[in-house]
Amino acid sequence: MLVKVLKVVGQIILLWIIYWLGNQITLLTGIKIPGNVIGMALLFGLLFSGLIKLEYVEDGASLLLKHMLFFFVPYAVGLMNWGEVFYNYGLILALAIVLGAVIPFFVVGYVVQLIHRGDKSC
Amino acid sequence: MLVIFFTIVLTIAAYWFSRYLFLRFGSPLLNIVIISTAIVIITLVTLGIPYETYAIGGDIMTFLLGPATVALAVPLYKNRPLLKKYGLAIVVGISAGSLVSVVTAVAITMCGGLPREVIISIASKSVTIPFAVEISRIAGGNPALAAAFVVATGTFGSVLGRDLLTWLKITDPVARGLSLGTVSHGQGTAMALMEGEQQGAMAGMAMALAGVLTSAIAPFFLPLIVK
Repeated sequence: MLVKVLKVVGQIILLWIIYWLGNQITLLTGIKIPGNVIGMALLFGLLFSGLIKLEYVEDGASLLLKHMLFFFVPYAVGLMNWGEVFYNYGLILALAIVLGAVIPFFVVGYVVQLIHRGDKSC
Repeated sequence: MLVIFFTIVLTIAAYWFSRYLFLRFGSPLLNIVIISTAIVIITLVTLGIPYETYAIGGDIMTFLLGPATVALAVPLYKNRPLLKKYGLAIVVGISAGSLVSVVTAVAITMCGGLPREVIISIASKSVTIPFAVEISRIAGGNPALAAAFVVATGTFGSVLGRDLLTWLKITDPVARGLSLGTVSHGQGTAMALMEGEQQGAMAGMAMALAGVLTSAIAPFFLPLIVK
């Protein structure tokens, strides 16, 4: 049990180090890509090249991903300061959310089916 | 100090409770983020604790969000054969979807005359929170507001997405998974997983790639069009 806990903690520390490296790359190069995206690409590259084996990060990663929704809660609580905006512009915001979901739903589905069907006929 | 400790315990308790409700009843209406957030906000307002005090504990709680985002590379890596097999459809579909999603939301809110900060914050509504928070911070939006729009989009997609896709005659499992992941990120991915493994893997990949694509493009593009 203790060994398993230590293993998961160690893996999360490793993921944190990769995240930190991603942030440093963003800071040092000044590129406008979030550090977490660079970190993700970095981990993908490390896994792909075999420098990091899947077992080194898998358990820690699945724990974090399983509870990812938890991290959203503190951000969503920030809404309590934005009541006025929602009150004043509620209808437009609702429209933007609904149409901004329905239209891309259709676009992705349609485009993928079009290309995918093309694949099959070849 | 004690208040900060209390807000952290409160958030964890609210999360566990909402998660229990969701797992127990399995209804997409029992949205974990919405229920937890409502519990926390109602408690804070009742006890007269301002958001600024809550935010101190909030920073501690979201400390692991960065590593969690990096961890998204793991499912992506595991599904790399799918990535290769449907490469073109995936890249074109997700790029088109992400672009349309940003353009629709920005166009509607610009026409509606909303403040600049709000327009920039809504642009990243379809990408998962850690990306959205970073995008809005870099482009001049508000991270909390961006997160709220993400949750709203995710909730809409997870409650209505599957019926909507069926209604739009999107029947291909790859296409359905990619749509759900591109538009409604993690919450859509959870629904796609309930539909099938292939849909789930596709949605997870779409969520990650849509996040990366939007993060790479939006910070350049937004300041140019939103004055």
